[in-house]
Amino acid sequence: MDRQQIGVKLTIDGLGLPFKINIFQDRLIMQKSVYLAQTAGVNLGYYYHWYLYGPYSPSLTRDEYAIATDISVGLDESEGWNLDDKSSQRLERIRDIFAEPDRNKLAKKLELLASVHFLIDRRQVSKVDTSRIIATLKQFNKDYFSEEDVQKALGELKTYGLLQA
Amino acid sequence: MASSKRDGFDKLVVDSIHGDTHLKKRELEVIDTASFQRLRHLKQLAMSQMAYPNATHTRFAHSLGALAIMTRIIDIAKTTGRVVLSRKQQENLRLAALLHDVGHYPYSHLMERIDKVKLTEEQVEGAQVEGKTLDRSGDPYPEHDLVGTFIVNKQSDLIEALGGKKRAKEIANLFGPKRPTKSKKSLQLSKLVHSSLDMDRLDYLLRDSQATGVPYGQIDINYLLNNLKISPSGMLGISEKAIPAAEQLLLARFFMHRTVYYHKTTFGMEEVCRQLLRRLRSQGKYRIPKDGKDIKELVTSKDLGTFTDAYVDRIIQKAVNDENQVVQALARSIQRRRPPQRLKEVNILRSSQEHNGHHAGTIFKLNCKHNLYSLAKDFDIPLEQFILCETPPLQLEKRGPLVAVEEAMKTNWKEEEELIKVFVTGEDEPKSLVDIPYSLLSKCAGLFFQSFRLYVVYEGEDGNDVISQLRDRVGDWDKP
Repeated sequence: MDRQQIGVKLTIDGLGLPFKINIFQDRLIMQKSVYLAQTAGVNLGYYYHWYLYGPYSPSLTRDEYAIATDISVGLDESEGWNLDDKSSQRLERIRDIFAEPDRNKLAKKLELLASVHFLIDRRQVSKVDTSRIIATLKQFNKDYFSEEDVQKALGELKTYGLLQA
Repeated sequence: MASSKRDGFDKLVVDSIHGDTHLKKRELEVIDTASFQRLRHLKQLAMSQMAYPNATHTRFAHSLGALAIMTRIIDIAKTTGRVVLSRKQQENLRLAALLHDVGHYPYSHLMERIDKVKLTEEQVEGAQVEGKTLDRSGDPYPEHDLVGTFIVNKQSDLIEALGGKKRAKEIANLFGPKRPTKSKKSLQLSKLVHSSLDMDRLDYLLRDSQATGVPYGQIDINYLLNNLKISPSGMLGISEKAIPAAEQLLLARFFMHRTVYYHKTTFGMEEVCRQLLRRLRSQGKYRIPKDGKDIKELVTSKDLGTFTDAYVDRIIQKAVNDENQVVQALARSIQRRRPPQRLKEVNILRSSQEHNGHHAGTIFKLNCKHNLYSLAKDFDIPLEQFILCETPPLQLEKRGPLVAVEEAMKTNWKEEEELIKVFVTGEDEPKSLVDIPYSLLSKCAGLFFQSFRLYVVYEGEDGNDVISQLRDRVGDWDKP
């Protein structure tokens, strides 16, 4: 593991999540968790762009596999390392977002939170225009999210300080 | 060789790899900017010239080569008529090819990856380290393609040469990490810039092979390009008969990594330099940009032209006289070309199916972790002068070694789009080379190679004896 990969492992630990990438859903949770952690100010250095399930970073995918390979042979090099206090506090502030025990529900929730944030952050939509957000999500085949879901996601992003109120 | 300008082009450059390369007026204007000319001062192969004296070719020459290949790809697209590219799209693709490396750091990946470096003392037991804390409150250094988008979108000379901010943004989107996604065709266009069969790879393998004199990088570029096809939906691939040429391309890349890019001297020198820069940055010395924000400020400022290999060379020259003895030793190792001595190298080639339990590489790392501190003490060599490092895992294709074919297909795994595609006879849409049952890749795509190494920078006059004793001590560190 290099330093950047150690940062990812510590971040996932800090959010109280298991480091799993066995199935697609696991990797989706991983991608969106790191996205939201970066949004909260933990700068891991991954650049995201839009893909089928929302914001996606190919570099992170490569690193996830490298970390998983190391862990699978019993070499977790993040042991003994810590994140700086500021970053740890930032993770602590958003930790409750990830408390959903049902992995299916968690994956959907994180997909929506990250997608809505990404669209607003990249100025594709305005945060006050819910119907435009839904229309944009539909344009990207995300018609499984209702207006209520989007409203809730906006509220949650604001509550956790990921979007300005 | 007699050469003349093609109609519709304004300048002809003769390239040692591709021969005649015809340039249009706007491309010339881009090339003549100070921002682009910086690439003349970035060596394509960083420190490889320490091992291969002729490997001094530049990002500038490679960028022109990428443009030459893109020209041929566009000609094929036009000939087949399956994808209609507007004149502007063709121009944008050519400009994206030209500019795809404009964001490279001094010594390329060497400086780019400073944030990934672990110092030796942070990896071993017993060393005095002031808390192993990762500071993630600032931005790490961004990857070079993102830096390239900063430069294209912000440097006024390039914006002017490209015809305005809007056009600059369109081109940056083609080569940068923020690629267009709404249109299927746009997606495919960006694949011409980023994929296993892209103009970047086709050029650098040939160019690096020629410059180093290592023949493994030679590829059958004409056969590959002559057999390129585009599907009705805009997917780019090769015809079935070109499978051996594609397999050879992937093998060439694999062998060039093992031979040239992971060469013991080059890799060791680059790791010494990376650790040196990392130490100096942590100490706030020599105005090394402290984080990604500083890098962005630098590359979008008037000082961009100073951000060349010489930028790092100057730091090394200053560090030779640094007050810190370790810093001095590391800097001298580079300045005087006294490469770190390789004490042990453990190479592994594993399949994705064998990812349980330790292998020789991890055992070696664990032994270094447990024993390196006492080794350094016994020989009275500063621990920081031992360089413990590993190469990134190397695989034949972009599909990760742990991703099953079915899963990648089922879940629309993004990297799947970047694999080499093959048009199987009788089918309109291509499939991935790794999914062709009789291709070499279908059996080998899950393999990955990695090298674990321990070097030492030692300046004593009794060098040979000490190195030999050190090698004896670590000789069995790959055994449990």
